[in-house]
Amino acid sequence: MSKSIKTVFSHLKGNRFSQKVKRGIFTSSKLNQDSTDLPEELTTPLSQALKSAPAPIYAPTGSETFQTITTKLSDGLTVTSQPKFGTFCTVGILVNAGSRHEVDYPSGTSHFLERLGFSASSLYKTRDDIMQAVESLGGICDCQSSRDTTIYAASIDRNKLEKLIELFADVVFQPTLPDTEIQLAHNSILYELEMLNKKPDPDPMMTELIHEAAFRGNTVGLPRFPPEETLADINVDVLKTFLRSYYQPQRMVVAGVGVDHDELSKMCEKYISASAKSPSWSLDGPVLQDNSVAQYTGGEVRVEKSFDLSLSVVPMPELAHVSVGLEGVNFTHADFVPYAVLNMLMGGGGSFSAGGPGKGMFSRLYLNVLNRHHWMYAATAYHHSYEDGGFFCIQGSSHPSQLRDCVHVITQEFVRLTQGTNEVELKRAKKQLQSMLMMNLEARPIIFEDVGRQILATGVRKSPLELCDMIERVSNEDIIRIAGNLLSGKAALAGLGDLRNMPSLDDVQSALASTDGKLPRKFRLFRS
Amino acid sequence: MLASKAVGHLSRTLRKCTLSQNKGILKRFQSGQPAVHVNTPETRVTKLANGLRVASEDSGLSTCTVGLWIDAGSRYEHNNNNGTAHFLEHMAFKGTQNRSQLDLEMEVENMGAHLNAYTSREQTVYYAKAFSKDLPRAVEILADIIQNSTLGEAEIERERGVILREMEEIEQNQQEVVFDYLHATAYQGTPLGLTILGPSENIKRINREDLLTYIKTHYNPSRMVLAAAGGVDHDKLVDLAKQFFGTTVSQDQSHVTAGFAPCTFTGSDIRHRNDNMPYVHVAMAVEGVGWQHPDTMVLMIANQIIGTWDRSSVNGSHFPNPLVRRMANEGLCVSFQSFNTLYMDTGLWGIYYVTDNDHLGDCTLRVQDEWIRLCTNLTEFEVSRAKNTLLTNMALMLDGTTPICEDIGRQMLCYGRRIPWPEIAQRIKQVQVSDVKRVMGKYVWDSCPAVASIGPTESMPDYANIRAKMYKVFH
Repeated sequence: MSKSIKTVFSHLKGNRFSQKVKRGIFTSSKLNQDSTDLPEELTTPLSQALKSAPAPIYAPTGSETFQTITTKLSDGLTVTSQPKFGTFCTVGILVNAGSRHEVDYPSGTSHFLERLGFSASSLYKTRDDIMQAVESLGGICDCQSSRDTTIYAASIDRNKLEKLIELFADVVFQPTLPDTEIQLAHNSILYELEMLNKKPDPDPMMTELIHEAAFRGNTVGLPRFPPEETLADINVDVLKTFLRSYYQPQRMVVAGVGVDHDELSKMCEKYISASAKSPSWSLDGPVLQDNSVAQYTGGEVRVEKSFDLSLSVVPMPELAHVSVGLEGVNFTHADFVPYAVLNMLMGGGGSFSAGGPGKGMFSRLYLNVLNRHHWMYAATAYHHSYEDGGFFCIQGSSHPSQLRDCVHVITQEFVRLTQGTNEVELKRAKKQLQSMLMMNLEARPIIFEDVGRQILATGVRKSPLELCDMIERVSNEDIIRIAGNLLSGKAALAGLGDLRNMPSLDDVQSALASTDGKLPRKFRLFRS
Repeated sequence: MLASKAVGHLSRTLRKCTLSQNKGILKRFQSGQPAVHVNTPETRVTKLANGLRVASEDSGLSTCTVGLWIDAGSRYEHNNNNGTAHFLEHMAFKGTQNRSQLDLEMEVENMGAHLNAYTSREQTVYYAKAFSKDLPRAVEILADIIQNSTLGEAEIERERGVILREMEEIEQNQQEVVFDYLHATAYQGTPLGLTILGPSENIKRINREDLLTYIKTHYNPSRMVLAAAGGVDHDKLVDLAKQFFGTTVSQDQSHVTAGFAPCTFTGSDIRHRNDNMPYVHVAMAVEGVGWQHPDTMVLMIANQIIGTWDRSSVNGSHFPNPLVRRMANEGLCVSFQSFNTLYMDTGLWGIYYVTDNDHLGDCTLRVQDEWIRLCTNLTEFEVSRAKNTLLTNMALMLDGTTPICEDIGRQMLCYGRRIPWPEIAQRIKQVQVSDVKRVMGKYVWDSCPAVASIGPTESMPDYANIRAKMYKVFH
């Protein structure tokens, strides 16, 4: 290793030639020195207060409020907001449109729209015009699409709200979708796919594969990362049909955190509702809307792949990844909170992860899996929940040769759940869920998304305090009951990497149906 | 010490202003200074008799972050004990005289709290996130792990393995590796050139005695700040600090850590060639300034003008930053990021870029072209835009109790005060085009950069060539 390191020391500072050039360009030596007539802002160390600094008048200590106000405008657009003090606010539009709505479209259409999110509109000719406009409001903006929702959001100086709403109306309803921008979006998605394939982090791909296995060919099981082939089929007409079909005021929520509700509603009416009446796409073309309900199917998805392990100076360990899922519930279901507690209780993470106590060290996947089996590289539980369906899964990583054992410890953990939990463990999981909820809600963008998504899906927002109460009420009986529900269904199985040692779906299914969670013995030829 | 006293005084008078705003405004007008409304609660600072500073911002939330910011890190080490600060941080969660490791973990997990710690070259930080109602317990736990850590021999032995494993993880992260090389070459022969983890020989050797000596030398109340944000009442926090930290007495009341020595910057080049890697990672920097230096703000504005980009971003070819436009249009790199790493008396102002071997030469040239352009040819438009984005980024960062608490703790250690927001805004707004050129001329023009690269570095320009591009001859 030391041979390949070549160090060159240089002592060129003060080199005569360069000194000469230096004088040549900066004829005035003043440019090179701190002149004495600079203002105090440029001469006072940051440790000292400026003499001319304005005296700040601080806000009094705030009190936490979760009061969400919601208004429905005449065209069906919902406006919702929550007060929050601070110098800036987070505001945005949530659209009930994402990759789950792409069954009639080339896969990737919503991903394209995300990339075209703040590109060009009737008032702002280029992306740069939009960025400049948002910058002048003292903020930043971003567009993100997921399986079920596309979000246009900005955090700006709270006093400049009106200009932002005007901009949102134009960006969302009057996009011009020029060819150059579509090409750029295409390139950027191609690069994203390339990186997704290259990076050793398996989480985005595994999330994709287990969704595909759990909801075969429908709604949230449709690919969020589109295959390269379908990208070429996406053109202006496709995009406009998608916009016409899904970008309707009744499928949208405008959410604001740290804004005055009445002001926000008035501005939405004035700009957004007005703009929605005559969008840049024609309103009377074909409409292809998919409103089907998510159908959990279960099934198996395998992607054989060899990872490039030499991304850095030290090669990475060779790993294979697997995820075992079972049907869960949607997020309006009465059992949603018990499932969230179950998720906390299972917990998990990487066998080597940063952070001290508090990261869920006593969750089952740490205690029973990572601490006990040192060949397990990672084990994490997830509950993916949508408005009409969901699933609970455990994802694990190990060396490819131990993938069968990896699945084995996962199925065992699932089966063990039917025995329920104890009071200490349950209490801890509930407390951690409550604190996670409250700590996440410290930041404006998260409050924004929480309020917006809840209103978009259900029309009401459960306040965090209400959720905390619901968490408190979860009992051991709830856990046993939902564990029984989980295990009575079909399994979903996804694998990524060298999968020679991955058991079949049938084996996993029979392990989950057994009393001890063990994989059938007949296949364990080479194990003692 | 003086600075923190002044702030303490200032915040007391200002607190009265918030109680009766009208009076406050009147008072300001009388003193000839304009008053500005800030939409955040004030940061209150109190200094205890033993020198510990307590600083907090009360936002009334039901959760909070509280932590200890300590003026100690790998820069106060030498070759033989490099890695001690980091080792000590690891030992903090391994049990105290009052709690076994298991007790500590159980207690924290059961209260839904989080304990975390990190070591940088100049700071060691321990913090807790918890429900605001649990603040007393959080402070007590922090005090316990810092003052009463058992440092058991068995735990020390076990932790060696964990740290060596962590080292392996870090070596898999290209950015970490290249920045360690950058420090190693830029600050060669000085403690800032050492890594935070230390070499593996040291990790295998550090013993209980070393850790105790380190605590005795560096964990001094006068070099610590107890910072908090969220639902935190300052007076209560001060009482808690007195109760749990007030007993530690120390003769040494200075804020400057013992053994503080200036670290010299050396323009130089280090390469770790590995042709198996798909990309070259390069970090190139000149010597900037330390935390407190007034030119810091100007250098940060220059960072904004250079910008940050990666290929997955659609904002490329018509980005306002010329370098972003160029890199995107010509496909010269995968990503780049302008950085300004600050220490007490020095800093690294530079750029980190990732590219392949074919484009390495051109990419390096473009970067340097842009640096030179900033010394000579800047527009009013780009400077004012950079000022605006810098201000926006700084404001947006302060969201959530942990980022705010980190800001308080870091500022208290680096500046001896928390700079009021209007003052930060004023310092940025005052910067003119001529100031950016002046400051770039001072630190970048015709200076010797430090360059570190890893990966297929074959076509990386020779150091003499790189050095020759740090100025331009005009005819």
